[in-house]
Amino acid sequence: MTELEPALRELRSTCREVAVDLRSRALAVDARPLEMAAHLDSETLTSLRTASTPRRFRDCDDSLFGASYTGSCLARVVANAELACGDAGILSANTGASLAGLAVDALGSDDQQERFYRAIADGRTWTFFAMTEEARGSDASAMQTRLDKDPGGGWRLNGAKRYVANAVRGGIGVVFARTGPSALTIRAALVQLPAAGFDAHLLDMIGLRGACISGLAFDGVRILPDELLGSHLPASRRGMWGAGRVFNVMRAQIAAQALGVGFAAWGYVREQRPGWSGLDLMSARLAAARALLYDVAATIDGSPGDRRSPSIAKLHVTDLAVQATRWAEYALGPGSLAEHPLLEKWCRDVFAFEFMDGTSNILRLNIAPVPARQGLAS
Amino acid sequence: MLDAIAECEKAGYADGLAAGLAQALTGVDVLCPPGPVAAVPAAAVPAGAAVIGHRLADLEGISLVRCADHEPARGLTALGARLGAVRLGITGLLIERAVEHLSGRTAGGEATIRKQLVAGTLADALTATESLRQRLLVAGHVAVAVTDLHDRLNAIDWEVAKLLGASGYLACGPARGAYVARLIANCWIAREAG
Ligand SMILES: Cc1cc2nc3c(=O)[nH]c(=O)nc-3n(C[C@H](O)[C@H](O)[C@H](O)COP(=O)(O)OP(=O)(O)OC[C@H]3O[C@@H](n4cnc5c(N)ncnc54)[C@H](O)[C@@H]3O)c2cc1C
Repeated sequence: MTELEPALRELRSTCREVAVDLRSRALAVDARPLEMAAHLDSETLTSLRTASTPRRFRDCDDSLFGASYTGSCLARVVANAELACGDAGILSANTGASLAGLAVDALGSDDQQERFYRAIADGRTWTFFAMTEEARGSDASAMQTRLDKDPGGGWRLNGAKRYVANAVRGGIGVVFARTGPSALTIRAALVQLPAAGFDAHLLDMIGLRGACISGLAFDGVRILPDELLGSHLPASRRGMWGAGRVFNVMRAQIAAQALGVGFAAWGYVREQRPGWSGLDLMSARLAAARALLYDVAATIDGSPGDRRSPSIAKLHVTDLAVQATRWAEYALGPGSLAEHPLLEKWCRDVFAFEFMDGTSNILRLNIAPVPARQGLAS
Repeated sequence: MLDAIAECEKAGYADGLAAGLAQALTGVDVLCPPGPVAAVPAAAVPAGAAVIGHRLADLEGISLVRCADHEPARGLTALGARLGAVRLGITGLLIERAVEHLSGRTAGGEATIRKQLVAGTLADALTATESLRQRLLVAGHVAVAVTDLHDRLNAIDWEVAKLLGASGYLACGPARGAYVARLIANCWIAREAG
């Protein structure tokens, strides 16, 4: 079992305190996800942004979370589980580096990183990471969006993406597209907005509405040579490799957020029914899931290429979190969902984690033992 | 009773959730749910009733109505069974949409519908709905069996919605009906808190 060092225990208690503020904003963000002005300058969201920015690009260093938030996968998991217990929807509604930042960190040159982090330094800029297409989700390596050679130099981006978080209000993002037929020709482009030929619209989703899930269309969007990420890397590490590294870190983080929602539902029932004996089983299941997640995060810190461990954690925890919200619904009796809007919101939000960074079936394919010399799933 | 069950499933499947609920609520005092809130077709909200707004329920033509002090209506188990039948219609529709969706997609060069993990989930969902339909016929008067049926439908609907990928998470998509059906069941299925 992974024991948390004092710095991580401190991070955990800071996140627990901050979670109270996140929760107080949860229903407002769910109802009006595009209206973030009242939240962005809060100490909590400002600190979360600062903590997710690499130290060399920070304007100031006074994040509530100190240095340890993104220092390791274990730190990310510890923090995200507590923060999402406040509310996961508002975490996905914040401006800042997010998934695109991880891609730029993995694939961007020093200049590209500088450009990305300068673009978001104002604290008002959302970022996006565009991989999924209408017809290609799990099977992303078959994506159709193209980077066509521009006779005038560079590339033209053509195609469409779907289900991309925060793109409709994004200022800068990473878009994956192919320059040719093979998997190695998939590349990531840094796209700064506004850009001619770029169109985004909001999709109305059942839950996690803070994420402002969007559809995108590209009609000849100009991509300059220095906007293609990974050109300084070996060919095998330029495109999907970088995305794979991002997904591995994110998988554990998404599992942590799902766990946070599970704990939120459990804690809510405990508040409503103090002393009720029916709390114990769910409490034990959630605590065990947290222990699993901490172990997995510590494993990833030791071997970042390990795909099986984060898949196990995410498969188990996302399912348990859905079960926890149903359990809470039943525990609070008839009419509970209409009577308890936060619980009802969590019942919708918790579904999101299934689709983010690997659906359950894709995780199963990663986990199941395969005969020697056969490949793994994506 | 048997006719009513079949009619309710047909209404849910063919005419949608609001029409199915209207059918299921026939003869029930809609302001007397087992808890503090009733779910009713928007067209049947009594004048002056306090409606709790809900984006997804509104889109399905369902209103959540706050009910002041009242005795729960009689015959709620039978209502629960009829509502279970409506939900079977909604689940059937969801399964059909998932099959359509997956039939048009490929993964790794193979039709997604042919993937064994997908086929297993669909087979389980179809098996469960068949068995639950029979349960309504033989045990629709047994409160605990009806409550459990709704809990099973909550689980099955989610397993099927997952097959739709992110399109199963769209507010305008086929999973919305299943989610609002859960909200309705949450209002009308009597259970001891806990
Ligand atoms: C809240 C939310 C946020 C998101 N954020 C982003 C984002 O920021 N950027 C982005 O690019 N995308 C994002 N997505 C999209 C997400 O990455 C995709 O939904 C996901 O990759 C699944 O793709 P799909 O929806 O097309 O489903 P599909 O891949 O079509 O899957 C449909 C069903 O088939 C199953 N399936 C697929 N392949 C196989 C197989 N080989 N074997 C067995 N079963 C299989 C799946 O498990 C699923 O049940 C987001 C989605 C949501 C809901």
